[in-house]
Amino acid sequence: MFITEILCRILAKHTVDTQMIDSTTLILTLMWGAAIGCIYVLLATGLNLIFGVMKLVNFAHGELLMIGAFVSFSVSTSLGLDAYIAVFISMGVVGLIGVAVERLAFRRVLGADKLNEIFVSLGLILIFDNIAVLIWGEKSKRIISPFENMGLQLGDVTISFDWLIAMVFVIAILIGLVFLIKKTKVGMAMRATSQKSQASMLMGINIEHIYIITFALGAALAGAAGSLYGIIFPFNPYIGALPTIKAFAIIILGGLGSIPGAIIGGLLYGIAEQSAVIFLGGIWRDAVAFSLLIIVLILRPTGLFGEKSD
Amino acid sequence: MVNNKLLAAVIIVIIVIAGSVAVWQLMPTEESIKIGLVAPYQIPVGQDMDRAAKMAVEEINAAGGVYVSSLDKSLPIELVFADTENANPDVAITAVTRVVDQDVDLLIGGFGSSATLAGQVYAIEKRVPYIITGASTHLVTRRGFLPEGNPTRIDDAEGMSYMFHYCTTTYHYSETVAYFFAEAMKPLLESEYGLTRDLRLAVLYRDDAFGQGVWEATKHFIEDGNLPIDIVAEENYPTSTTTFQAELTQVKAAKPDAVYVVDFTTNTATIYRQGQNDVGLNTIYIAVECCEEPEFYTALGEWGDYQLLESKFASYAGPPFYLPMMDEYVADYSEKYGQVPGMMGADTYDAFYIAKDAIERAGTLEKSAVRDAIESCNLDQMLLITESGKIEFSTDEDSYHEIAPFTFVEQLIYDETLGECRPFVIWPENCFAGTVKQADFVLPENYAPGS
Repeated sequence: MFITEILCRILAKHTVDTQMIDSTTLILTLMWGAAIGCIYVLLATGLNLIFGVMKLVNFAHGELLMIGAFVSFSVSTSLGLDAYIAVFISMGVVGLIGVAVERLAFRRVLGADKLNEIFVSLGLILIFDNIAVLIWGEKSKRIISPFENMGLQLGDVTISFDWLIAMVFVIAILIGLVFLIKKTKVGMAMRATSQKSQASMLMGINIEHIYIITFALGAALAGAAGSLYGIIFPFNPYIGALPTIKAFAIIILGGLGSIPGAIIGGLLYGIAEQSAVIFLGGIWRDAVAFSLLIIVLILRPTGLFGEKSD
Repeated sequence: MVNNKLLAAVIIVIIVIAGSVAVWQLMPTEESIKIGLVAPYQIPVGQDMDRAAKMAVEEINAAGGVYVSSLDKSLPIELVFADTENANPDVAITAVTRVVDQDVDLLIGGFGSSATLAGQVYAIEKRVPYIITGASTHLVTRRGFLPEGNPTRIDDAEGMSYMFHYCTTTYHYSETVAYFFAEAMKPLLESEYGLTRDLRLAVLYRDDAFGQGVWEATKHFIEDGNLPIDIVAEENYPTSTTTFQAELTQVKAAKPDAVYVVDFTTNTATIYRQGQNDVGLNTIYIAVECCEEPEFYTALGEWGDYQLLESKFASYAGPPFYLPMMDEYVADYSEKYGQVPGMMGADTYDAFYIAKDAIERAGTLEKSAVRDAIESCNLDQMLLITESGKIEFSTDEDSYHEIAPFTFVEQLIYDETLGECRPFVIWPENCFAGTVKQADFVLPENYAPGS
């Protein structure tokens, strides 16, 4: 019934809009999907990194994105720094917050019942939201970019430089992350810990240090995602919840623990959302994105790049 | 024998004490009037409602409180808070139930149509007078008149009579916007572009009770008034949406002359920005009055330049628009809280004075008497301008217990010094209180008509 409904909607919409959906619109849809997908990718990659190495489910990951946006906002407004330089400062600050969260909150429940981790992360959501309201207030804010109102002209539409820069940032950060994981000793230790933590410990890897580094890295990625989000969208202390849900959907789509999965999953999710609006109408945005998730899970239960666990 | 006498004496003492306690409990012991403020404390409008309510209560209490003739004394107002978080319907049910069970005398507030519809059910059941100041769906007072079988219908006319709507409804919004386009914008397009065809309007709205209400009402007024407006696009989206390029692309493809945006502050500001900057939809955008909040101006920045906002209370608009009381309210509020008030708090502020007036006229805290007194309210207009200059609740089936607020359209002009836009009333010319128009409506320099 549901599939029939979707097909009917596509046909009906297509009949009406055939002349309206031109190649520029299609390209723009892909661009916007990829751009918003890039922010999802960054968030989902951090979440996946933490899950892959620590086997930790952190529902408060979106709150780190929110904190990242506010840190960037404060740095760029009070110190007058360029919004894109503020991204790096935000990554550092949120990374340090990640260290504190790992040491003070998650370390205490790691390895215990998963329910404990979930409750800790739910508690952290409330703590972060309230701290943000106390410091920055509850009103929406936006980080002003030096490229405000500037963009690449494509016919009579413009692709904002901020969107393009966000994509470049995400690509650069991901290249750096892959380099760190594949080519450095810390990365090797992280990979080893993610595969067999006890064996890694026996081989002399200090997995407590690896956990701290992993959580800090994941948090820093969320901080970067938040800063880029804040340049593109208005934000307030309550924005964290929805990106977290989407990030979880993306890592399930891409495969739990898989970084390439998070990248492909994030892009697919973003493009599916935007295409759904163009071809079916705005109300189908979430339905189509989550349908994609269900279809992938039916065809490949471990996700696109996931592997069967032991 | 002695023991029996002692026992009898003890029993008598116990009976006397128990009797005294019972009599004491039956005697009226009100030391305050409890008013529940139903507000979404997690979002700026809720904070604004809270600040305005506290200000009204402080003023009323400082002036001696509310005189209740049946008690022959004045009582202070005690605020009881019902936090609906971010206007969440599930949370609203719990919050309203909790305060009603604390035996409040009256409820004020309620923001968000879905949350208010959900939360009011318990107040209806318990016959608690409720002055609704933030939900825009007309159903909060008219759901008793819905056809049988409609899930929103409440088949309790007596209970529904305790509900009062002191704010604009989706019908008010849409009527103002539809007539503005027909009477002000269409003639302008004719004179500037020679367009004699109907005005091409696109409606972009969030998919909830509020958005659907505005959409339905807009269609109703255009069709009912036979207005020269052609709705060329209707796009709705889930309330969780944060990026709108795809929706705006669809709207642009329909070649509208204007876009009616039905959402709250943050999303509306994003739509104005993405529409102009990302999609190149250089048209006239108009937002609903719930965006009349300082936050909206901040989020909008220069993307509001020459764009429109429908309103009923404009903190930023100066004379000649202000009624003297507005000036005083804006000054007091700004001094007390260090920020400019929003329009949602203004409704709430007025509602406390409506409650005070009703209790004093009723002479009792008995709820049915207070309800009757609110129904017969005839106060002069306060912060909200009304069509008649009086605060009066209608009793007709098609506008049950609603006031008739005066709404108007503002054009926003960017102020480089402030880094924000400021509004100027452009339509209509006059209201009951006098002239409201401050400037002529002009189209933006980069405006492109729909076809």
